Amino acid sequence: MYCLSDQQIDFILNDLHTHGITTESLKSDLLDHICIIIEQNLAADGDFQQFYSSVIRSFYRQELSEIEEETRLLLTYGHRWALSRNQFFLLLFTLLIGPFIGYDLLCTWMVSLSQNHIGNFYGELWSSSFVFALYPLLVFLILWLTPDRFDPLIPRKSVILIGIRPFIKILPPTGQPAASFAWLVPICSNLNEPRPPLPPPFPDI
Amino acid sequence: MSYPTELLKGTLKTIILKLLADNKKMYGYEMTQKVKELTMDKIQITEGALYPTLHALEADGLVTTETEYIGRRPRKYYSLSPAGKAKTKEKVKELANFIDTMTSLLDIKPKLA
Repeated sequence: MYCLSDQQIDFILNDLHTHGITTESLKSDLLDHICIIIEQNLAADGDFQQFYSSVIRSFYRQELSEIEEETRLLLTYGHRWALSRNQFFLLLFTLLIGPFIGYDLLCTWMVSLSQNHIGNFYGELWSSSFVFALYPLLVFLILWLTPDRFDPLIPRKSVILIGIRPFIKILPPTGQPAASFAWLVPICSNLNEPRPPLPPPFPDI
Repeated sequence: MSYPTELLKGTLKTIILKLLADNKKMYGYEMTQKVKELTMDKIQITEGALYPTLHALEADGLVTTETEYIGRRPRKYYSLSPAGKAKTKEKVKELANFIDTMTSLLDIKPKLA
């Protein structure tokens, strides 16, 4: 039976933290779990580093932080707002164009109160809002006309959760991988670096 | 042979609640070993599924925790709260009902001992 030293326990704690386990109670649970596995399965003169690496690798699919994310998701799921893909885009549209429409309505109301009609004031006001409305309308048009198009961020039939940490969480349909933004990071941080391959397109449903 | 994750996803909470109902208080590693032992290795609960679920059950008030120290490291024991005991009965009954329905739907003949 292997006996863990205080330094090794500190090492495990630091490693968990470095790899995205920041919730203290979750960290304690994982620390105890890892320590038991090591104590029960590693020979007294065994290689701690190598054994620890193999144990921790068996805890996740891609990254250890998946456990932290899953915990946060389950803790906040009840307090989240679940939207379909269409509802999500409708919300975006409302947020983008809503203030302009609201401003126009307010101005129209105030001008009509003052009984002071100035030239083609209404025409200018509403035409400017129409121009702003074109951008989200364009997005809607593309989504409507090409529903089967390749969409790496929000696949069809996804559920979008709006909440806190993370603010937006996309749950893809069963059987599809979760939307990942990780491949965007190197593209944004250094344009001269060769781009990583794009994720494969989602199959049609 | 172990079962695919898809089959186990909806049953994890029920499994944990029932384990705690039968064993009073348990810590995470103990739960994974108990499930392996009871199912002859057919069901293996992963750490990535177990701990998020335990934390969600705790947040829902279905389990309570107490911490003991093994040297320097904390060990968290989980046990059922009164609400958790009632929920366990409900979840087990619900799952049993579901199994009956699936047995009937898929025309599976129960094995006779």
